[in-house]
Amino acid sequence: MSAHNHNTEDLQVLYEGDQSKLYSGVLSHHKGESVESAGSKKQVSKLIKVTIILTVITAVEVLLGLTGHAAGIPHWLDVTMFLIMTILKAAYIVKVFMHLGDEVKNMVLTVLIPLVLFIWFILAFLADGHFWLHMNTTNIAR
Amino acid sequence: MSTIAAAPAHATNTDEKVWGGGHSPFKVSYGKLMMWFFLLTDTFTFGALLISYGSTRFFSSVWPEANAVFRSSPFFEGVNMPLVFVSFMTFVLILSSVTMVLAVHAGHYNDKKGVIKWLLWTIVGGITFLSCQAWEWTHLAHETGGVLWGAFSDHNTPISAIQNFFGTYAGHQLTPADHAAALQSTHDFFNYFFTITGFHGMHVTSGVIFNIMILINTVNGTYERRGHYEMVEKVGLYWHFVDLVWVFVFTCFYLI
Repeated sequence: MSAHNHNTEDLQVLYEGDQSKLYSGVLSHHKGESVESAGSKKQVSKLIKVTIILTVITAVEVLLGLTGHAAGIPHWLDVTMFLIMTILKAAYIVKVFMHLGDEVKNMVLTVLIPLVLFIWFILAFLADGHFWLHMNTTNIAR
Repeated sequence: MSTIAAAPAHATNTDEKVWGGGHSPFKVSYGKLMMWFFLLTDTFTFGALLISYGSTRFFSSVWPEANAVFRSSPFFEGVNMPLVFVSFMTFVLILSSVTMVLAVHAGHYNDKKGVIKWLLWTIVGGITFLSCQAWEWTHLAHETGGVLWGAFSDHNTPISAIQNFFGTYAGHQLTPADHAAALQSTHDFFNYFFTITGFHGMHVTSGVIFNIMILINTVNGTYERRGHYEMVEKVGLYWHFVDLVWVFVFTCFYLI
């Protein structure tokens, strides 16, 4: 962690002035390296691979969207497959394109844990909509 | 403030080394961390919009069919081409996300020319997407406009006027019993569609503006003098987020 050994005067500047000097992300590992280097090319080929994966998933989604109903695939299966493919795409974008996979674990958890709330939001609001439909289409003498 | 010390040498346990002060425990700068937190809040805004859309859809006994609503493409007037145009839009946005990550990558290696090249392509992709959306909005506003705009909640509007949004093949014919529900759900569908894609389109628009701003800074050598291209990375996060949101919008409106 020698990169973080600043003297006290420097720190005063870092905390009150130019925050960007605290930057120690992926960039700091490539100082002086060329974009033509083997490490750089390896990274680019990984990006291209993810691009192809995203494109293929989207193509499958569109194909399923066009033919799924006519092919007699049950609606719930259709929806489940769409959701799995959507979350897979989202995971690739966040992990590779947004470089969240390269961050430290604490940082990753800080971003991801709040999203757990969505599980409850989605279940609660869809169930509520479903219940309203049930109430509107049911004639019970009260 | 004499208590501030760099990763204290006497610190023995890991917690103290990480959280003892003097350096970033997350190993990211303030600006980048705050961009992540902003995107997290924006996730909940978009999430709220999409979940209320889902709630309304569960609430409705009938719902417009995506393959019937989104069946048109420019230059192919009157031809039935479901999902084709929006697939193209989605592909453009994915590609612009790729060119953005390549700009960020070039920035990691202080490759100024690379950053400029890939930022330019990203801007082109963003403007292409916005142009496509402008066409789609105009087309749908035209289809729902004229007689129909504001008439979805008017019960005098005949059911035949909205049948085309539900598809015309067997099993999708609306019955007179569906009349009120179909008018209401068509009304809701287009309200949510224009609100959510409009909110997303505004994000794309501001993303293009941010990209143009950092392109100007790159050309002027601002980041070269600063010694790093972190600003490209921060704007890149925002741009990828816009793509991420579209992945969910695409699923919710066009597929399911």
